Amino acid sequence: MRITALYIDAQVADWPETRSICSRFDVPAKTVANADDVYADVAAAPDPVGRGKQVLYLTRNKGAFIRQCPGTRHYTCCGYKILHVGTFCTMDCAYCILQSYFHPPVLQYFLNHADLNVELEQLFATGTTHRLGTGEFTDSLIWEPWTGLSAGLIRKFADQDCCVLELKTKTTFIDTLLYLPHRRRTILSWSLNTERVIGSEERGTASLDARLKAASRCAAQGYPLAFHFDPIVIDEGCEEEYRRTVAHLFSVIDPRHIVWISLGALRFMPDLKGVVQRRFPQSKIAYGEFITGLDGKMRYFKPLRMKSYRAIAQAIGSHAPDVCLYFCMEDDEVWQDALGFRPAECGGLSRMLDDAAVRQCGLNAGGNRR
Amino acid sequence: MASDEGLTEECTRLIPLAEIDPRDERFRITTRRDSDDLLISIGRLGLQAEPLMLPGASGFVIVSGFRRIAACRGLGWDSIRAQVLHKASPYGCALKAIAANSLERPLNLIEISRALRLLDQYAPGGQAPPEDTAALGLPTHAGMAARLKTLCRLPAEVQDAVLEEAVSFAMACEIGRMEERLALAFARLFRELKTSLNKQREIVTLVAEIARREGIDPMGVLSEERLSRLLEAQDLDRNQKTQRIRKLLRQRRFPALVAAEDNFHSRRQRLALGENLQLAPPRDFEGTRFTLTLNFESMEEVGRLREKLDELVDHPDFKTLLTGKGRGFEETQVP
Repeated sequence: MRITALYIDAQVADWPETRSICSRFDVPAKTVANADDVYADVAAAPDPVGRGKQVLYLTRNKGAFIRQCPGTRHYTCCGYKILHVGTFCTMDCAYCILQSYFHPPVLQYFLNHADLNVELEQLFATGTTHRLGTGEFTDSLIWEPWTGLSAGLIRKFADQDCCVLELKTKTTFIDTLLYLPHRRRTILSWSLNTERVIGSEERGTASLDARLKAASRCAAQGYPLAFHFDPIVIDEGCEEEYRRTVAHLFSVIDPRHIVWISLGALRFMPDLKGVVQRRFPQSKIAYGEFITGLDGKMRYFKPLRMKSYRAIAQAIGSHAPDVCLYFCMEDDEVWQDALGFRPAECGGLSRMLDDAAVRQCGLNAGGNRR
Repeated sequence: MASDEGLTEECTRLIPLAEIDPRDERFRITTRRDSDDLLISIGRLGLQAEPLMLPGASGFVIVSGFRRIAACRGLGWDSIRAQVLHKASPYGCALKAIAANSLERPLNLIEISRALRLLDQYAPGGQAPPEDTAALGLPTHAGMAARLKTLCRLPAEVQDAVLEEAVSFAMACEIGRMEERLALAFARLFRELKTSLNKQREIVTLVAEIARREGIDPMGVLSEERLSRLLEAQDLDRNQKTQRIRKLLRQRRFPALVAAEDNFHSRRQRLALGENLQLAPPRDFEGTRFTLTLNFESMEEVGRLREKLDELVDHPDFKTLLTGKGRGFEETQVP
């Protein structure tokens, strides 16, 4: 979606990067004392979620840049850390939880990178293995056309040996990253879905083929890769389509480049259903067989999830038996059923993924483990 | 009441019934069409309260007293004594028409809806002053009034369902947003089932979601043969019909969940747990912990339960209940 309004927090108005970003837009910029004017602009629109994707607010992150991924005790969390560089997204996926996560949702980009660097230095100084990613509250690479965010982070992570950065995207904005000295400390990862789901539910995103070709170019430059089949949309015949998607993935990507692959079926807070019905009246994703999960989120009926996971895991296993495959927010019953083991048998999910990062990204194997 | 009041003059006159236009119902508030009760009382005691009339181009327009006038016609009268309004504005007439009803008896939802619409229709500026609305005993909350006003625009059959209390105000508003044939179909269904609002909401949601899920018209869901057969079943009472229709729709909306529930229940039944032992699955089969409840009052009963538990541990169906979730406890599953 095109940016049609640009707001600048007065506190960052004179910063060089602010001016640099503004120069890339041909829309008038408005300097504001705080976010109230931005929120008012977005909230007044007939479709605040859609408007929030067109309004860019350049500001400071007034809270922590590094945050723990919000898991719940009922399902197994991977212990990921979120690098909170910005919020929301210019693409428009029907199922996107960010539509109902922020009130109101606004495209924000945080410019106080000196604070971000301080937090990173402190984390690196612990010598503990950590996996961090910028793709939780936003898409990691939507900022590439306007900022040098990812390049800066890739260089920063290349200078240390205990942490790995994951840039998760549905775009193909990789040209600015290809020839950076990354030292394999940055994993470039793509959310994957079937062509049908991408076509019907992921408005404004790159096609499956384009994503895989972009991944292939990154792999050629030595970047480790990851893929996330998340959200898996379960409906009649979906298993066969996911099998085809898996086959497509491995027809383009050598499994040896892959650090991990995650699987996660569509899940969302109940509020999102109304948003999807309103904003995507043609979408059928809200009408799956959902029940209320133990964490209060709507989840597909468990036997359906298990069936889809078995099929996809089997397909991945047939192409890449050694790849680190994991579930995002599922319980031991699901792990055992689809993969034949529970994370605890490998020291826990965090350990599994840390080990994969050490192995594939050359992290300091003697580093402290959590 | 309204400032309009001062401009209205009334005089009592004997008016031939033939000069009253019975088809002009612009001021009608009452939803009752019968006048049998009035026919008896007027026939015996005479007309105790005179109807209000407005002189019109083609005869007199009834402002209030529709049922009384119908009763007088039914009695074969030629003329009646009525109060005739002079210099009354349409808004003044609307106020009087509503007051004649709302200050005498509680109005039903459709009458309230008509009253509110009538005020808006004739109020200068298109909106009645809240003071007038309040003085007439009508709801003044803007949101509530806006929803109420939609009721009298619903198809007659839906309005009838509201009057019969087969469809609540909330549900009437909901089906009022649907296209007419669908609204009518729901009104007919709920008049037949006379079920609670929660169950009606469940049915409406299930029908809408099945239609979206299957990419068909909601009417196609409502006119499905099995559902029609249930509605026509002579051997089922309303509660049984409601229950079976809900189950049928739920089965179509959540096929895997309902199949797993059915499989689970069949297997549990085969365990022959008896009345002192209950086995409950995790809610929606999402969690992993089952609940086993034991009821007893003597050592002998505890002993029998222990034997039953020992039996259970080796029962293939019990094993499938605990381990067969991934395949929906399918009957064909190898225990």
